[in-house]
Amino acid sequence: MTRGEIKDVILEIIADIDEDADMADLKADEPLRDQLDLDSMDFLDIVMELRKRYKLQIPEADYPELATLTSCVNYLEPKLKGL
Amino acid sequence: MADYSLIIIGGGLSGLAAGIRFARFGGSVLILEKHAIPGGLNSYYYRKGFLLETGLHAMTNFAGPGEKRAPLNRLFRQLKLSRQEFVTREQYSSLIYFQGNNTLSFSNDFALLREEIACRFPGERDGFEKLLAIVDAYDPFTPKKWVSTRTVLGRYLHDPLLTDMLLLPLMVYGNSEEHDMDFSQFVIMFRSIYQEGFFRPGATMKDFLSLLVDKFISFGGEIRYNSKVESVALRDGKACGVVLAGGETISCDAVVSTIGAPGTFELLALPRQEEKYAGRMSFVESIYILPRQARETVRIDNTIIFYCLADRFDYGRPREAVDPSWGVICFPEHFVGIPPADYFQIRITHAANYDLWKKASALDYKAMKEEWGAKSRRITSKIIGNYQQNIVYEDSFTPVTIEKYTAKAQGAVYGSPVKVKDGITPCGNLFIAGTDQGFLGIVGAMLSGVSIVNQHILKAIDH
Repeated sequence: MTRGEIKDVILEIIADIDEDADMADLKADEPLRDQLDLDSMDFLDIVMELRKRYKLQIPEADYPELATLTSCVNYLEPKLKGL
Repeated sequence: MADYSLIIIGGGLSGLAAGIRFARFGGSVLILEKHAIPGGLNSYYYRKGFLLETGLHAMTNFAGPGEKRAPLNRLFRQLKLSRQEFVTREQYSSLIYFQGNNTLSFSNDFALLREEIACRFPGERDGFEKLLAIVDAYDPFTPKKWVSTRTVLGRYLHDPLLTDMLLLPLMVYGNSEEHDMDFSQFVIMFRSIYQEGFFRPGATMKDFLSLLVDKFISFGGEIRYNSKVESVALRDGKACGVVLAGGETISCDAVVSTIGAPGTFELLALPRQEEKYAGRMSFVESIYILPRQARETVRIDNTIIFYCLADRFDYGRPREAVDPSWGVICFPEHFVGIPPADYFQIRITHAANYDLWKKASALDYKAMKEEWGAKSRRITSKIIGNYQQNIVYEDSFTPVTIEKYTAKAQGAVYGSPVKVKDGITPCGNLFIAGTDQGFLGIVGAMLSGVSIVNQHILKAIDH
């Protein structure tokens, strides 16, 4: 998957989790949590959705890697390489 | 391979929420409900063509769709239910009514309670504002030592009447302890009732349960009714399945039990520990049905009335079968936007003594119901007007009924004062969710199911 495709997947997952998410103004390098007003329970959904779709195991210690859109893409790029 | 990744015992609100949460991400899950319909404490039944609801009078934690951090909306996101499509009917206002015509009104606009206190207890105004600052800054979800709510309130409020008035709705709608309350639970209840408020789903509780069951099934979850679990099958100290009444065994990798701590221990062949895990607060409730024309004779300006006609409000198991000196009067159809129907209901709740109801013979039980029903109607008529002559149908339940239908030991609707907050049991892959885990009320019970699955099942299982 390309970086652009990974970004689209993340955005799609967020839109699916949160019907009120305002995606238009999302800044790639700022924490998703603050911008979308999400909490740790919502965050778990991103992890679970990635597991469901791509059989990806993300250990709890790595959750901070998913803080911003850019960090998500950086973290997932090697893991989703072959897909 | 096991038949299911997860088996959930109990199809009440915590079990349904736990099930949806796990099924949502593709896990195979079976809910086992011992009764013919879902809901547990918050269920429904039909009598004479009337749909009667059991359990809570209203949902707490009202929040509009935009308030993303509100517990109600977090819950909807976790269950992938659309909050925007969910129709809510808010309360008009509710009344705290104490002896000597002392009243406080509150609604889903917190400003009303603030004004009422400033107006009726002018000397307490500053103290109440200080208490609010404490409540706002408090984190009730991190485990802490037990703190006496009455002691904390005594620091800010000088008039014991105001303390009692503020405590009545919060205790009767969510306190498993007698007389006092842990301050964390006080903060949770204060927010969910006074700062967020009462509402009910636009449709009936039956429809709300269908919404949850349908969601669960749409994610691939399975539910079986009339399926009482007799025991948990163990291998090397871990749960490997459940055995149903009738002998059928179903295997699984993990279990969530929502039937309370004593019942769960029993399934594990451990002592029930009722002396520790059975709560003492149970209730009787009467449901009266009256024709629409009778509305004029009943004072229905509030959605819910919390009254106390004793000198002090004592939240505890009464010495007699029922304590009608305080209670709750609810008009379950009196919410904004619900059009008047041909009939309306009045639901009246009092604290009750489980032991006295339990040991009564069938004949005495019936006579007790009549005797206490009459006392209750006489007292509540003083508050809402004489409604007795217009009753076309009535039904009532006692602590024994609650125990029978909800698996709550001794009919204690709020479970044990000792909560198993982390849900962990002596059996490594069996977890407790629901009332005895800690969160109460409909929203609380569902959040309990969600958080136990998040914490112990979703994060742990490798597919």
